[in-house]
Amino acid sequence: MLQSVVQVILAGLSTGMFIWLVASGLTLIFGVLGVLNFAHGSFYMLGAYFCFTVLKYMGANFWLGLILGPLCVCVIGFIVERFFLRYVYHIALPYQLLLTFAFVLIFDNLVKIVWGAGSISPPALAALGGSVDVLGRKFPIYNILIIVVGPLVALALWGMIEKTWWGRIIRASSSDREMASAIGVRVPALFTSVFVFGTWLGALGGGLAVPYVGIMTSGMGETIIIEAFIVAVIGGLGSLKGAFVGALVIGVLTAFGTRFFPTFDMFLTFILMAGILLWRPQGLFGVAR
Amino acid sequence: MEKMDRRDFLKRVGAGALVTGAGALGSGVMVPTGLWAQAPKIKGPIKVGYQAVLSGTLAGYGEFHKMGAQLAVEEINQKGGIAGVKVEIEFRDSTMKPDDAIKNARYFVDSWGADYLAGVDSSGQALALAPIMDKLDRVLMVTHAATEKLTEEWVFKKGIKQIFRMVNSTYHDSNAAAFIAKDLPALKWATVSPKYEYGFTCWKLFQETLKKLKPGVSFPAESWAPAGTTDFRSHINTIMDANPDGLYSTEWAGELITFLKQAKQAGLFDKVKHVMLPVGAAMDVLEGMGAEMPDNLWISGRYFFLYPNNKDNNDWVARFRKRWNHYPAYVSEAGYSAIYALKAAVEKSGSKETKALIQTLEGMELDTPAGRRLFRKEDHQAMYDVPWGKTKGDPKYPFKIMGESKVIPAKSYFSRPPFEGPGADPPFSS
Repeated sequence: MLQSVVQVILAGLSTGMFIWLVASGLTLIFGVLGVLNFAHGSFYMLGAYFCFTVLKYMGANFWLGLILGPLCVCVIGFIVERFFLRYVYHIALPYQLLLTFAFVLIFDNLVKIVWGAGSISPPALAALGGSVDVLGRKFPIYNILIIVVGPLVALALWGMIEKTWWGRIIRASSSDREMASAIGVRVPALFTSVFVFGTWLGALGGGLAVPYVGIMTSGMGETIIIEAFIVAVIGGLGSLKGAFVGALVIGVLTAFGTRFFPTFDMFLTFILMAGILLWRPQGLFGVAR
Repeated sequence: MEKMDRRDFLKRVGAGALVTGAGALGSGVMVPTGLWAQAPKIKGPIKVGYQAVLSGTLAGYGEFHKMGAQLAVEEINQKGGIAGVKVEIEFRDSTMKPDDAIKNARYFVDSWGADYLAGVDSSGQALALAPIMDKLDRVLMVTHAATEKLTEEWVFKKGIKQIFRMVNSTYHDSNAAAFIAKDLPALKWATVSPKYEYGFTCWKLFQETLKKLKPGVSFPAESWAPAGTTDFRSHINTIMDANPDGLYSTEWAGELITFLKQAKQAGLFDKVKHVMLPVGAAMDVLEGMGAEMPDNLWISGRYFFLYPNNKDNNDWVARFRKRWNHYPAYVSEAGYSAIYALKAAVEKSGSKETKALIQTLEGMELDTPAGRRLFRKEDHQAMYDVPWGKTKGDPKYPFKIMGESKVIPAKSYFSRPPFEGPGADPPFSS
């Protein structure tokens, strides 16, 4: 029993960290640009496919794939923001949703055209494919790595936003766009850079997910984006701290639900979300607008 | 004016004379067969509306449906069509959603003028289409959806005669699995299966049949994974805590790959020795797992390309590989055979009208790559044999194949009409 509880907590933490990686980019983009980016799940998917392509066709190792893959996706993120999204910031929200949703469809189909419609299942990693013994049951080393990487990303993001010059400008521009541009901040360029960075986070999540989930399919981003949205809403849209806590809560709760309350497992997440929104409509760490 | 030499002229006259002669002699004396006899009766082309999932995570299945059906259409048209009439096929994305299945079917029949419908992946979609099939009044040849309710409830009990099913249903995934499981030294069985209709039904039937075949079996754990599950670790813990001897799982496609990989990492296959995967012999799973597929797992499917090992099947696999550069998936075989079932029915009945097709298809035997199929008259379910076998490596293939295999005859485990009361469910007393 203890064995199982520990395993479930570990499983929950690793799931939570995956959701966090995706939700962080989503939250950052929403917090700064005010755009709910449906296509963020597509960046996750593209991250996975590009990492895999680097891994397979360039004979590179996984880590090189993890560096180069998300960078390729950043180029796509740049194009999306600079040439499309930028023109809908000022019009009604439904247009942003429509545009980003259109990109979901376009990217899903592009993946089918380039990589084929079937699922791709990359081979297990040689170095990190093993498991360690936790109280007599195996737990994958790779998932432990993810449990470490998640908080590191959170720490780096926090440092970047709170402690660097770039972070200060971001905070200034997101709280008052006009004032920031009046004192000489090139807000459009700044927004592009934030969007590209958010894209990179999503793509990194995708690249890291492949060895864990074991397969890639066109449409793989659509499942994770829903979880990331739930997490972002629970934590408070735009709050990175909220997204981190929300991801942990959802990850561990889902794992416990699946193991100990199987009848309610799908329901638990939504009950939690509904409860939190009733209690704090702005989310756990959100600021009432 | 068209040029015609003497030999051509004589051939045409001869052909005409033969048809007239045959007609004059009347049926029974000399039944005209092939192109000449039926050409005048049917106004072409014969149109097939095929729906399969072409988007989302299961898009690969749709592509494989398409390859099979397309190959059949190309072959038939190259040889002059069905009864001299060309076949046209249009594919639409079923999206796995019941609403879209209905929209597609209505479009095919009302706007496009389809004579015959085929495809359909999910049980939910098949059950959504069933109530409108008598209004649409076209034969629907189901090539993937597996719920037995389609044929038992809708065809047999409610009399919706337009529905036929080309592939094995849940009978194979559950009852046949129980026939294999009874001979394994395992008494405690657990499951990780999809949290929807298909998963629930299969587990229920598997338990019922196995209990009758092997008194003393118990079922200590079940864990249900919703569609879209990417993390099976908690499910795997549920199973390992229950410490069963056997694991039965109707997970399929990408989710089965994820499950197998994560179960392997968690050491599940070291603890549980007898594993049965009713849809494990699907090509996407075998190719996806590659060398990582554990050995000695029991797998099956709707069709496996190495069975039956005869000329017809082997030739077909070769043609398929030449055309598409893939091994045929089970849905490819079903899509291919669905078109040939149409051909056989039209040529035999001399008509493409739904009523005539239904009459001909009922009780019809059809030779297909998967072997000889019989469309059972009562419920329109195709009966044919598919083996269960254990995974093993083979130097000829870059993936694990079905090694040591067992064929349980379909008639011994397909539930029988009237589908309730004694003698309806296997194991049969008579």
